[in-house]
Amino acid sequence: MEILWITLSAALAVGIPALATAWAQSRIGPAAAASLAEKPELSTTAIVMLAIPETMAILGFVVAVLILMRGGA
Amino acid sequence: MAKVRLLGPRDRLPDVLRVVQDVGLLHLAPLTTGAQILPAELTPLQERQHRNLGRILADLDAAVALLGCRETKRTLVPAGSGSPPRWARLARDTRTRAEKLSARRASLEEERALLQKYQVFFAAFEGLFPTEDRSHQARAYPLILRAGQVQHSRLLRHQLTALLGGGFELRERALPGGEVAALLLVPPFSADRVERLLAEGRVQEVPLPSGYTGGLRDAIPQMSQRLGAIALEEEGLRREVGQLATTRCRELVAARAVLHDSVARFEALPLAGGTRHAFVLEGWLPADSRQLLTSRLEQEAGNTVVVEELAREQWAGDDAPVVLSNPRLFRPFELIVRLMPPPRYGSLDPTPFVAVFFPMFFGLILGDVGYGIALAALGLALRARSRPGTTLRSLAEIAGPCAAFSVIFGFLNGEFFGDLGQHWFGMRAWFNREEAIVPFLGLAVALGLVHVLLGLGLGVASALRGHPRIALGRGLTALMVILITICLLAAFEILPAALFSPAVIALLIAFPALILVEGIVAPVELLSTLGNILSYARIMALGTASVMLAVVANRMAGALGSTLVGVTFALLFHLVNFALGLFSPTIHALRLHYVEFFGKFYSPGGTQYRPLTHWYPAPNRPT
Repeated sequence: MEILWITLSAALAVGIPALATAWAQSRIGPAAAASLAEKPELSTTAIVMLAIPETMAILGFVVAVLILMRGGA
Repeated sequence: MAKVRLLGPRDRLPDVLRVVQDVGLLHLAPLTTGAQILPAELTPLQERQHRNLGRILADLDAAVALLGCRETKRTLVPAGSGSPPRWARLARDTRTRAEKLSARRASLEEERALLQKYQVFFAAFEGLFPTEDRSHQARAYPLILRAGQVQHSRLLRHQLTALLGGGFELRERALPGGEVAALLLVPPFSADRVERLLAEGRVQEVPLPSGYTGGLRDAIPQMSQRLGAIALEEEGLRREVGQLATTRCRELVAARAVLHDSVARFEALPLAGGTRHAFVLEGWLPADSRQLLTSRLEQEAGNTVVVEELAREQWAGDDAPVVLSNPRLFRPFELIVRLMPPPRYGSLDPTPFVAVFFPMFFGLILGDVGYGIALAALGLALRARSRPGTTLRSLAEIAGPCAAFSVIFGFLNGEFFGDLGQHWFGMRAWFNREEAIVPFLGLAVALGLVHVLLGLGLGVASALRGHPRIALGRGLTALMVILITICLLAAFEILPAALFSPAVIALLIAFPALILVEGIVAPVELLSTLGNILSYARIMALGTASVMLAVVANRMAGALGSTLVGVTFALLFHLVNFALGLFSPTIHALRLHYVEFFGKFYSPGGTQYRPLTHWYPAPNRPT
């Protein structure tokens, strides 16, 4: 039973930030594409802006791994 | 950079600009001299010439693009050679002819596409038509029943039976897309009733393309003939464009380069100033190039033109243009720095640091001998297809160190396309990324700590001269980060526990000092710096994901029953992983540099160094 809670916690730890990242990127992506159509020189800013929300998913993944490791799953 | 002022007789200004353009090193700037110097303005004649050149260039650009002239190398035409009026006529005539040919080609392509679209449908009817001797006895209606309307066929047949009894024939053939081609044959005297029935049932006859009269039966061979004629006409047009390109491209390309140069000189003229008899021109050039400009001007204009260097106190650093100048080894990485706005004059050029850390981060994430070798091959191919100094060549040269680091870390990780190296070659994993996840996380964060501390150190160095308070704040932040690290390491007994208390005491002293120096935002800044360090955990996350995907690809070979299918899927999966392995580490290594590292010291806002130089076609323009 314990293993179920551990895996569920790990799944939530990575799943919720991943959804948040997806939501953030879904807003940034079209805005970046629209900006690039008018000002191609903003490509660096667009890439950085798109990569910023990924931190949430990546840190979520790290936390999930730690949960699995510590929980012995 | 050195700021120079050029002085000489006013009538020599056009010659001087030509020499400056030949040397290609002087970044012209607006004059900073006194009010008695009048700005040079274009005369009405020069303005007219400028406008005319713009028009000729528009024609030349269009003609070159339409003919697809390839500009492999810029050939410098001696000043004054060539004839703009002749080029104007040539450009206009070529553009007009090329546009006509292009319009005709577009129209033929459109017609061909339309006929081919119809042909798919009409081919289905070819076998359904009755023989010649019966055709005059029946009226034919070609119909297309869409994929969802197959039941309509039964209904139509039922209604026709009710209307005509057995006096009709409905021939059907299924089309590949699920549609049904149906040919309805009825006696001519029943045509009115049948057409009414079809209209009521909203069953549409297949329309003929415009220009084709008679029935579908006559149109099909006509369309086949027309398609053949179109192919011949297109071939003729291609030949004509080819001939035009062969006879004219060379001159068009040379003329375009010369006219671009002339336009650049016209645009530089208003930057000059002077009196009725003398001109003044100011600009920046690399300090060691001053002698070159002076000697070239002496050669071309004798001793009538003087080049004087302005003292450092006479110009502000913020106005000076910036040119990144690095050793050959680091130069390709200037491409990464150039994606950001240029740094201010006199501030730090981060290229050498990028050249070390970018490939390292990339290699840590990809970390596979097989993928590294594939990347090296890609880099070599790119290098072979690119010219020196172009963006593509820089990319190829960045790929080299990235591949080298990937191979080095691949050996340490014991990875060759995932775990294949361990199975095939008995590679030993010194650092198994599949299992050593927590040590890998520690390594990534430790690298982040070093990188961010280096950034803060560079921030201190760059702010020390003009902004000592900012330098002190950055130094204190770096100290706090080090103390927090010592506390954590001592708490987890990685460092001696005796260090914990002194580190905490030092923290308690440093924290108010930091608030005193940086204000109330200091805690937020400190937290943001700690967040920046944790952000390097992405190296571990992406690296683990990369190795896991490679391992999954290898498992596919044996998991899908058939070896052939399994190996095909495994290769495809490796290909996808390789593509991800190129894209993802690049984006994230860039982000770690731009946000986490540059944020600590980089001061953008400089002016890009753009000397007055000869024009080069885009693919060969030096970067």
